[in-house]
Amino acid sequence: MALPDSPASPATRQAKRPMARYFLTNEFGLAALIVLFAVLFGVTAQGFLSPFNLFALGRTASINIMIGLAMMVVIVTGGLNLALGAIGVCAAIFCGFLIQDAGLAWPLAIVLALALGAALGSINGWITVRSGLHSFIITLATMSIFFGAMIFLTRAQSYRGLPPELTSFGRIKIVEIVSPLLVVTVVVALLLAYLYRLTALGREMLAAGAKAEAAELSGVRVGRVFIICHMLSGAIAAVAALMLTARNGAAIPSMAGQLGQDWLLPAFLAPVLGGTLLTGGRVSVLGTCLGAFLVTMLTSGLLLMQIGEFWIQSFLGLLLLAAVLIDKSRRMLLDRSKLS
Amino acid sequence: MTQTVFEARQVSKFFPGVKALAEVSLDLHTGSIHALLGENGAGKSPLIKIITGVYRPDEGELFLDGNPIALTGPRDAIANRIGVVHQERNLIGRFSVAENIHLERLGAFPLKPIDYAALNRMASQWLDELGLDIDPRTPVSRLSVAKMQMVEIAKALSLRSRVLLLDEPTASLTAHETDILFALLRKLRDTGASLLFVSHKLEEVQEICDRVTVLRDGRNACQSRSMEGLGRQDLVRMMIGRGEDAGRWTARDRTGNPVALQLSEVSTGLGHRNVNLAVHKGEIVGLYGLVGAGRTELAKCIMGKFPITGGQLRVGGTPVVIRSVADAIHRHGIGYLSEDRKQEGLVLMHSVLENAGITVWRQLARWLAALTDGTIRTKVAPFIEKLEVKTPSLDQTVGNLSGGNQQKISVAKWLAAGVDILIVDEPSVGIDIKTKAYLHDLLRQLSDDGTAILLITSDMPEMVALADRIVVLNDYRVEGELINSGQYDTMSHAIMDLIHRVEAA
Repeated sequence: MALPDSPASPATRQAKRPMARYFLTNEFGLAALIVLFAVLFGVTAQGFLSPFNLFALGRTASINIMIGLAMMVVIVTGGLNLALGAIGVCAAIFCGFLIQDAGLAWPLAIVLALALGAALGSINGWITVRSGLHSFIITLATMSIFFGAMIFLTRAQSYRGLPPELTSFGRIKIVEIVSPLLVVTVVVALLLAYLYRLTALGREMLAAGAKAEAAELSGVRVGRVFIICHMLSGAIAAVAALMLTARNGAAIPSMAGQLGQDWLLPAFLAPVLGGTLLTGGRVSVLGTCLGAFLVTMLTSGLLLMQIGEFWIQSFLGLLLLAAVLIDKSRRMLLDRSKLS
Repeated sequence: MTQTVFEARQVSKFFPGVKALAEVSLDLHTGSIHALLGENGAGKSPLIKIITGVYRPDEGELFLDGNPIALTGPRDAIANRIGVVHQERNLIGRFSVAENIHLERLGAFPLKPIDYAALNRMASQWLDELGLDIDPRTPVSRLSVAKMQMVEIAKALSLRSRVLLLDEPTASLTAHETDILFALLRKLRDTGASLLFVSHKLEEVQEICDRVTVLRDGRNACQSRSMEGLGRQDLVRMMIGRGEDAGRWTARDRTGNPVALQLSEVSTGLGHRNVNLAVHKGEIVGLYGLVGAGRTELAKCIMGKFPITGGQLRVGGTPVVIRSVADAIHRHGIGYLSEDRKQEGLVLMHSVLENAGITVWRQLARWLAALTDGTIRTKVAPFIEKLEVKTPSLDQTVGNLSGGNQQKISVAKWLAAGVDILIVDEPSVGIDIKTKAYLHDLLRQLSDDGTAILLITSDMPEMVALADRIVVLNDYRVEGELINSGQYDTMSHAIMDLIHRVEAA
């Protein structure tokens, strides 16, 4: 059914949006939840609002957001990257090796580590595009391959002799409570928002993710775009792992758990809470950031309330399930308010 | 003796801010084929959805056999033996034909083993009745689009519907398949069924329907009257409120112009052999063929989606090898308007602006500089306005617009890209008469302005109304080439002769 409206013109381009629609956005819901829980924890959990806890919270959140973004850039294509933890750890260990064993200057080592992350990501992308298989199965395989190869080559060695410039990065405080890691995250998030909103490449990623056939016949090099998405994912995962290394003061093979699997829950939670469509084609950078922040805050608050670590894992799993279900009903509500 | 089996009396349907249907009435008789006509947006789909139980009317009543009924949902409609064949195919690709036909009844006893032999036997009965030579065990995904449509009809028939709605059933059928379908519909009518036939093809409506209801702007332009004495012009006047403009086809000879696109002895990876074809600047060349003749496939090979394995492709006189669709568009200026708007033409979940701008992002992008919505809007808005796309804003999701408006956006995309060669594949599938006439004018005008157009269509009147020359393709080979005389009868005979000459040999 057609809408009985006048032809589009730049003058009428600002569609009138009912306020209800604004309140139904993911970002608004997340922001409201964050405020709600902040108040709740501030009142009930001792020390939640202390400068140290806020600093620690921001530092952890910055890493979780980065992990979420690494997954988000691949979810855009309708795919996913199970290997992002493995890629991150490989990059961090490589960085440690370059500094400690190869004696490279740390800035150069970081650049090469990021390059390794991007390279491993593009291997995922290349195999996915060439084989035509879903990235689920490809990255499941490469997760084991990358991690296994890294353990074999390094004999599971940790690198603890990192220069103070690098490790202090995880410790210094800007104005009492802000970690420089948070600044890095904000910069990366802003760059990604710029990519999706204001560049041809970002628009192509969204179009190819939403409907690959249509995008290709409109002149988008879908294969190349998908490979770039995976490459970006690898690079962002490497950033996340280097941030974690700076915080820990060492590059440790088990920093993201066995095969890097510990990262998977935050990686999916953040974009899904944030309203990025799992089927691809729609993305919310802000939503991902808020989603990751909410998860971090909940974890921290619950820990302070002395609820056991294992319960928190279950709780986060429940949160993921609830987020998906709420999102589904929210979308149905929005659809029903449309005219079609 | 006919009697009223179903009646909708003064039904209205409101959506927020819109009155989609206002006091519309319709009555269906037994042993009758009733046409439901109307432009896109006139209210046909809300009415169909009310009859099939998807929507409940906000005002008015429905009667079945004279008794008021309230349909609670599509299943309820089926239980009352009101069947529907949707325009969008509702088949499950991996399931067999027989399973699809019996889909609604498979779930009755979840744990009871399914008797496939009986299932297939029953399915064959319905397929035979339709004159379809399909093994009921074939997965639906292996069938051609036309065959799928016939399976849908078999499915509706197997539900023993007394009232059967057919929503554009012929949209993807060839002339031959349409004839078979019509013979079947007549047979059903003679056994007392009541059919509601929705179509944009007035020729078909006149051929097969005996009664008609026309909707315009959500109201009855005419209510369940006999087709007797109604000519095509009368129907059109009721639908759009004014007469149809006569065909403006004029003979043109553009073969003196430089050649824009030339295929010499081209073979492709999809099986085309020795295809020769030339489109001159400012010319519309029609590519006619039955479904499965390899027309769309040839277009995709030209676009670089599939490889050309032999012969030579020339663009503007220069031999070229096109390796990707992006190359074809950005380097060689060739555009392809797909027949499958929803899968290959548009990104339905994205906005009008994103869809119309997708072909120009690369042109507009400057290294490191922001590509803002404003920049894209400046580029595409004139085309959206020129094509009179009806949308509340450029931010509107394309999936919410009508078929005609979606098609206009697909065209706007290529106008914005400024291509020299445009391949147009089935441009008027699922769009209304007004938009179709408009598109035809636009294509003629585009070619007058110098664009070379290769037109693929199964709609013979459309072919004769648009093309300067017609190339006939059959079984992935060129059978011949005709100069269009503009005379429908002679042209359609000449084309069919070319196709059947081969089949006879």
